[in-house]
Amino acid sequence: MQREQISAFREGALASASLLVGIVPWGIVAGVAMVSAGLTQAQAVAMSVLVFAGTAQLAVLPLLIAKAPLWVMLATALVVNLRYIIYSAVLAPHFEHLPRSWRVLLSYITVDGVFALFAGRFRPGDGDPQKHWYFLGGSLVMWCAWQLSSWIGIFAGAMIPAEWSLEFASTLGLIALLIPLLFDRAVVWGALAAGGVALIAAKLPLNLGLLAAIAVGVAVGLAVAPRGPRKEEGRT
Amino acid sequence: MAAETWLVWALIAGMALVAFFTRAVFILPGSHFRLPPTAERVLRYAPAAALMAIIVPDIALAHGAFSVSIENPRLVGGLVAFALAVSTRSILATIAGGMLALTLARLFAA
Repeated sequence: MQREQISAFREGALASASLLVGIVPWGIVAGVAMVSAGLTQAQAVAMSVLVFAGTAQLAVLPLLIAKAPLWVMLATALVVNLRYIIYSAVLAPHFEHLPRSWRVLLSYITVDGVFALFAGRFRPGDGDPQKHWYFLGGSLVMWCAWQLSSWIGIFAGAMIPAEWSLEFASTLGLIALLIPLLFDRAVVWGALAAGGVALIAAKLPLNLGLLAAIAVGVAVGLAVAPRGPRKEEGRT
Repeated sequence: MAAETWLVWALIAGMALVAFFTRAVFILPGSHFRLPPTAERVLRYAPAAALMAIIVPDIALAHGAFSVSIENPRLVGGLVAFALAVSTRSILATIAGGMLALTLARLFAA
């Protein structure tokens, strides 16, 4: 690595150190919740490494416990990951000049916090040739923190007795994740509508209720949203 | 409790593909595409709707029936967690408080 690359890498790593307070407890909870939901330790470790998407990992666990069909769990993982499509569109111009292997790596390793830091720090077309090193430095810190804290949770979780109902921690964790997503009136009404429909439709076959709830929630959000471009809220 | 092995591995493989391709969709082709505002709204509203649609039945249903009562410990734990999440914004406080409320509600219900 050249000196500028090391310096960009280190700057990103230091910036994302501020995010560790959030990700470490979160990883431990995800680890405990995965084994409490019935995953073996090997499956839980594989999920942490291969999926590397905490919200989706936690969101499918209550569905797995409720014996939802595979396609419903995958559809749910897709829906909670839709925010990554926004990140991908924002990041693409920054990374378009990089070799394919770099673009594969940076795609795999994208997380919310580093995306927010990066999008606040760099502009597309700013001509900064080392900014992908900043992104990699920040993301690698988050990747290591997520894996280590998940593994702690996975191995600690296996020692916790089932009577403690720790699988409920995944639902509680989803509540903690949901609140920051409720950034305006439209998304609050959409979420409330989705919760109501999910309750009414809980008896529908194949958990169609969940998908109906999401569709109604999005429709209500769009109906409530003000027309025209939404003003930026300063957060992602 | 343990789910079928093949199902869990298929879930992990499928989720890995979903997680990778939602992140790679524009980065990998190196696209300059700009999302229209309505599409961006849908992409922002859907995750909150999905999380709420998972959370509400999980805390408000007991044995498949709607149960709004102090006798439903998951509802008590979930509502305490909501209050803590809004007031503290702390993952740790939300989960610890919710689990504590669940445990206390069970003791009182028993």
